[in-house]
Amino acid sequence: MKKNLKKAICVGMACMMAASLVACSGNTSSSSGSAAPTTAAVQQGSEAVVPAPASGEKKVIKLFHRFPDDPCNSFIEKKVAEYEAAHPDITIEISSAQNQPYKEKIKVVVGSDECPDIFFSWGGEFSERFIRENLIMDLTSYMTGEWADSLLQTQMVEYTTADGMIYGVPFRLDAKLFFYNKDIFEDQGLKVPTTWDEFIDACEALKSAGITPIAEGNQDQWPGCHYVGTLNQLLVADDVRAKDYNPKTGEFTDPGYAQALEYYQQLVAYMNPGVNGQTHDMARLGFTQGQTGLLYAELVEITNIKQENADLNWGMFNFPLIEGAGNPGLLTGSPEGFVVSAKTRYPDECVEFLKWFLGPEAGAEQAEEVGWFNASKGVDKNLTDESLKEAYSVMVSAEEMGPWFDSSLYSTVCDAYLTAISDVTNGDVTPADAMTKIQRIAKEAQTLVE
Amino acid sequence: MERLKSPKTAVLKILLHLFLVFLVGVIVFPVLWLVLNSLKTNQEMFLNSLALPKKWMFQNYATAWNKGLFHYFKNSILVSAVSLFFILLISSFLAYGLTRFNLKYSNFIFVLVLGGMALSEQVALVPLYKILQSLKLYNTQWAIILPYIAFRIPFTMFLLRSYFISIPKELEEAAIVDGCNSLQRFFHIIIPISKPVLASCAIVNLNFVWNEFLFANVFLESKSIMTIPLGLMAFQGDLKSDYVVMLAGILIASLPMVMLFLCMQKQFVRGLTQGAVKG
Amino acid sequence: MKKKNIAPYFYILPGLLMVLCFVYIPIIVNCVYSFFRLSSYSSSMKFVGFSNFKRLFTNDVFPIMIRNNIYYCVISLIVQVGFGTILALLLESKLVGKAGGFYRNVYFIPSLISLTAVGLMFSFIYSPQIGLLNTFLKNVGLVNLQQSWLGDKKLAIFCIIAMSQWQFTGYITLLMVVAFQNVPQDYLEAAVIDGAGPIRRAISICLPLAKEQLLVCSIITVIGAFKLFTEVYSTTSGGPGNNSQVLGLFLYQNAFLHDDMGMAAATGVLIFAITVTASIIQLRVTRSGQE
Repeated sequence: MKKNLKKAICVGMACMMAASLVACSGNTSSSSGSAAPTTAAVQQGSEAVVPAPASGEKKVIKLFHRFPDDPCNSFIEKKVAEYEAAHPDITIEISSAQNQPYKEKIKVVVGSDECPDIFFSWGGEFSERFIRENLIMDLTSYMTGEWADSLLQTQMVEYTTADGMIYGVPFRLDAKLFFYNKDIFEDQGLKVPTTWDEFIDACEALKSAGITPIAEGNQDQWPGCHYVGTLNQLLVADDVRAKDYNPKTGEFTDPGYAQALEYYQQLVAYMNPGVNGQTHDMARLGFTQGQTGLLYAELVEITNIKQENADLNWGMFNFPLIEGAGNPGLLTGSPEGFVVSAKTRYPDECVEFLKWFLGPEAGAEQAEEVGWFNASKGVDKNLTDESLKEAYSVMVSAEEMGPWFDSSLYSTVCDAYLTAISDVTNGDVTPADAMTKIQRIAKEAQTLVE
Repeated sequence: MERLKSPKTAVLKILLHLFLVFLVGVIVFPVLWLVLNSLKTNQEMFLNSLALPKKWMFQNYATAWNKGLFHYFKNSILVSAVSLFFILLISSFLAYGLTRFNLKYSNFIFVLVLGGMALSEQVALVPLYKILQSLKLYNTQWAIILPYIAFRIPFTMFLLRSYFISIPKELEEAAIVDGCNSLQRFFHIIIPISKPVLASCAIVNLNFVWNEFLFANVFLESKSIMTIPLGLMAFQGDLKSDYVVMLAGILIASLPMVMLFLCMQKQFVRGLTQGAVKG
Repeated sequence: MKKKNIAPYFYILPGLLMVLCFVYIPIIVNCVYSFFRLSSYSSSMKFVGFSNFKRLFTNDVFPIMIRNNIYYCVISLIVQVGFGTILALLLESKLVGKAGGFYRNVYFIPSLISLTAVGLMFSFIYSPQIGLLNTFLKNVGLVNLQQSWLGDKKLAIFCIIAMSQWQFTGYITLLMVVAFQNVPQDYLEAAVIDGAGPIRRAISICLPLAKEQLLVCSIITVIGAFKLFTEVYSTTSGGPGNNSQVLGLFLYQNAFLHDDMGMAAATGVLIFAITVTASIIQLRVTRSGQE
């Protein structure tokens, strides 16, 4: 009887193994299936795709990005198809996910053997946690001469560690400014504010006129932290902030942080009702439909604004100045770009692709079609749109960027801070109590980081 | 049967129907609102979401479909069909083995498999993720089909086993005398008799597999193999601010199961009834 | 004789192996992970003893999560099971008659819609600016009742719970209707002859005979309340500020957002303990019902 039982078990195991073999072949067919529709979908004047040569192996590079919506998605697919046509031995498989799922997904895939060769990663702590695990390739040796000169150094700083390791190349530059409705401002006789007090006065005037001053939606929790991040830059000295953002030394005891939350509270009083109940995109509709006077938005949203209302008469100004211990010369914003996995089998090919994809030619096209600029110099050469040209000059003239607050923080500290800002937005917690909790979490984080 | 049609009964009847119709309104009104807004432009929706559309934008539905809903449907159907087939097959094998042969350990195995019902999917999430990765199944359709099968076997086996126990042994004894082996008896006798309970198991499991989100979210990555629940979330990302098309897409995605139910509701209820009686 | 010995194992093995591989082994592995510190992309694990559990139970969000799961459980029991059963009784009563089938189908349909679809739909309905609720309130002049719904610290979880009741009450109603349809007609007719009114008949005959189905529905509801995930994920992601956080979502976020898989595993152990207890109760009850 035992012998028969053993036999049965062997048969069972064999079946399982057979099933997994079938699954693996199913895997390869489905993954090449995902590349086919993307190349087939693009027919915009690119040369006919050269079929893969019979000899020589095809190099498969996996690209993972976070821009699944158009026009960016189609732009990326088009450029990839162009590159594949020019390099028949390379196939690039694209996958993408939206912002929030991307943040969750990327950590899952980066640690696996299925890690994409090229993937999107925010600069700062977001990438540095991967660097600590040796998961991101060092690009410093490639970044020499012509390539280094063609890129804006103020933006490259974001993808360089404190030790000087360059690990990424920007795909789109970004900065956060206040957008204002020129018509509403004119009707109310308001001029562009430069200091905090002028700004609050303008908001007060709008409110008394029955116009919602600021449009905002904090359901995803990152919009609120952009305000607070900028306020922190203005109220807390740079070196103190650098120390606190580093998880090993973070304390957040400087009084400037609590002050920042208090200033933020003042802003919330002028926002549309239901801030925590809607997304930033939904709130932006309020601005583009002419119902609110101000919107604190990223330059990359210019495309959206034009899509939602091409007739809107809008302008931009920088975050109002507050006299404090911080650095008003920082422009809040951060380039976002791509990094290369340390486990890739084709490091040179990946770098070559990035050089081309994130270079000046592709950049000029990107500026025209998507309205986003990469870090190569002079990508505005073909632009005719005034608003985009203005946005580009803002980027180029920036002396130093102040990175996005949430990607600068360690995961538990980030979660605590975002929660605190959300609570402050609803008026559920005082700035002082919020900071107390953040200080506690920061202390705990010091032991959690390896 | 006497029917006392007093005015009191009539009033009660009207009140009851009013109440039930009110409930129908609670169910239907939100959906109607969504349909209405899916036929507008984004600006119209923003300005007054309760108004009728100025121009009926049926093209929103075409846009939504072309954005890839078809793939999500295809994948959901594929995954559901394969999962269902194996769930029913393996569970009925299991129930058959436990009830038809007097195995020494049949009770122990029954309880062991049944214990699997107590496990919630989330508890297995992290280890399953690591297991699937090491088996190189991550981001394939097997990554969700295999866990779906495994998680539904306990409950399905439980239902089938109760049903099989009540099938009289005499039916099979005749077949044994005729020289049929166990496999033949299984397919020619047991399965045809069990059609009702298999139907209700199929329906309950289909609901689970069709709507499952957590595993699909974690184990699937490529859009080309996403199932509908996951695809809808990706869809929302693709259409970040094109809300009206998004609504159209959501409605399209919800339609098939509703249509299927309306067509098959008689069998559905009958299946549930039979299953309940034997349970 | 030898043939008979292999055959049963052939039938049992696939099912048994699947359950062992994909259900039992992960539980055990999960319990092991809960004593370590690891993230989804790290190559090593660090043993930390009970610290994950300690951090879980002392976490500020822990009472909020448990409270939310319990709210969901209690409200679902009252509305889905309680009200759903009453609705089933009403639909089966003579007063409603043939229309009962129509009503039953309409109420059931929301449960056929995917959870994420319902979540996305209700995100729209609850939207403060353009949503159905606030726009409706504005149009009937009740502007002061307008809220930010999913953005309100106190209301968010109740909005999600309400969404669930909308979706699943009809499902329970259908299950109970089926149970009531199985009540033998002779009992009911005997009761009519004895002079029992409809309410009396419902309470003394229909309910007791459908007791098992009722208890199964209850236990499914309770277990579902503690496994809650998709509804919250597709609407608020636990916000605003962690006020609609639930155990299932907390597990997921720790595993994939906060790089803390050990904590996720510890949460998993807690969920497991709760669902096992509920399942044991269910098995005891149904077994005692059968005997």
